[in-house]
Amino acid sequence: MEQIVITLPERFSHVEINDLQKTLSRFKSKSYQGRTVWLDLQNTQQIDSAGAVYLYRCKDEFKKKKIELRWLNASAEVQKTLDLFAPVPPSQIPRKKRNLFEIIGEIGYELAKQFVDSIFLFSNIGFWAFVSFFKPHLRRKGEVSNQGVLIGVNALPIVALIAFLIGFILALQSAAQLRQFGANIFVADLIAIAMVSEMGPLITAILVAGRSGSAITAEIATMKVSEEIDALTVMGVDPIPYLIVPKLYAIIITLPLLTVFANIIGILGGAIIGVTYLDIGFYPFLKEVFSVLRYKEIVTGLVKSLTFSVIILLTATYFGFRVKGGAEGVGRVTTASVVASIFFVIVADSILGLIFYFGEPAF
Amino acid sequence: MKDPVIRVQNLVSGYDDHIVLNDISFDVIPGEILVILGTSGCGKTTLLKNLIGLLRPFSGQIMLLGRDLLKANDKELLELMRQVGVLFQNGALLNSITVAENVAIPLEQHTKLNPELIEDLVRVKLSLVGLAHAAHALPSELSGGMRKRAALARAIALDPKVLFADEPGAGLDPVTASSLDRLLLNLRDLLGMTLIVVTHEVGSIRRIADRILFLHEGRAVFYGKLDDALKSEIEPVQQFFNA
Repeated sequence: MEQIVITLPERFSHVEINDLQKTLSRFKSKSYQGRTVWLDLQNTQQIDSAGAVYLYRCKDEFKKKKIELRWLNASAEVQKTLDLFAPVPPSQIPRKKRNLFEIIGEIGYELAKQFVDSIFLFSNIGFWAFVSFFKPHLRRKGEVSNQGVLIGVNALPIVALIAFLIGFILALQSAAQLRQFGANIFVADLIAIAMVSEMGPLITAILVAGRSGSAITAEIATMKVSEEIDALTVMGVDPIPYLIVPKLYAIIITLPLLTVFANIIGILGGAIIGVTYLDIGFYPFLKEVFSVLRYKEIVTGLVKSLTFSVIILLTATYFGFRVKGGAEGVGRVTTASVVASIFFVIVADSILGLIFYFGEPAF
Repeated sequence: MKDPVIRVQNLVSGYDDHIVLNDISFDVIPGEILVILGTSGCGKTTLLKNLIGLLRPFSGQIMLLGRDLLKANDKELLELMRQVGVLFQNGALLNSITVAENVAIPLEQHTKLNPELIEDLVRVKLSLVGLAHAAHALPSELSGGMRKRAALARAIALDPKVLFADEPGAGLDPVTASSLDRLLLNLRDLLGMTLIVVTHEVGSIRRIADRILFLHEGRAVFYGKLDDALKSEIEPVQQFFNA
């Protein structure tokens, strides 16, 4: 029987592997079982790590098909490379298989732990928010107004634009329906109530959660990752009153103000449709708005926006402190924080909506 | 004498209109370890950035593996970069993926090897730097020394002819730093690589350097063998080794 000898090229690297692969595939059939395929390395002067690893892998594959693959005439240099890149068995990572109950238990434990952690953090923030109100030296100097500008003033343009568009489109959609009944003037009632008690607070809170909530999480997470929080702690400066409380004050002040601003702009947006499309005068429109708005709607909106401001800050802070790992961890918690705070804002909005809808107003 | 792997002639480089390196010339011959050293701020890292094409010099010539680095177009530069490995100061591993995936990046991008072969190759390279057990860990779960070794495995993934290392021992304890040096020496001996190492740690220099390029205030004040450097009368060099 004729011997099978394949001569390898002068240089055998990752580029030449494909050629050899094609040649060798012919000998992988059953008819070659029990025979030996020889690779002649006589001409080969250079072999790279990929080439060496490939030869070992081929040997293994041939062995499984009961064909022997061997090489001969390797120069000292080539043999050295072949020895150096001899295969390494895959490391056995002892991965314990967990059963269903363990998984459920783990999730439950994790959730409970998160709940307890958040309660501790929130009570801590609450305590310091009260205490540092009377001890302003605990807060970073000028930080409340600084944060007020960042969270509130800088958000004015985007809040104005979105509120205007919402008021405008809400009026446009309802105008078509109201017109059929000749109830044109009620578009003012609809816009006023919808903006003040629902859309204004909600839209503003979602915008602020996306803008400032993410910024707060990213800031705290970065500070934690780069050990700045630890540095403050060992200097005897509690990070909660120093960093978090000024943000809390700022957001509690600015979010309701932003909401009022959004309400006004939204109603104006609606008024444009009223005046141009429904032929209501600007003055009658405003008169209708003020006659329909009761304390209840205004209080509903303000209570909502106050609640949202606290929710946004607590969520952002909680996720910021939860960061693990390096820069990629910051990105992860920031995303999680925005998603969570928008979710909690909408949940809180529904609950407050129900309470104020069914609750008898005391005013 | 063999053709030099790197030949730098009259290199002038810096940032904006501020000159950091002035008239630097040196050769690196195959298989040797050249250590670039000097006090902080003398232009070591700037020189390294010039050599790996991250920074363009104001004037001068850099020949890397027989090719003119400054006249190469983008495609040629990329081709040239495949033949060199760089070990960055902090490892520069991608943090969002595992160590094994980090080492696989150059193999996946620059070769047509199939995934199983890449897996084998990654395992071999990681075991070469003693990290076979940490293949599936994230970089953030590793210690400083392990992270550098993982970065080294990534740098040698494509069997580079030249390996640049920027302060391999920085931030490591002396024991870990010396084991990393031994690893570099081993790689040089086993793979026949040429190494250009930037460092200012005297212990490390004594262990690995064949030749030394001493930078001082942007100029090469000494270029020669380690033994000669230790005996040198040149003031900054003397101060450096006797500090």
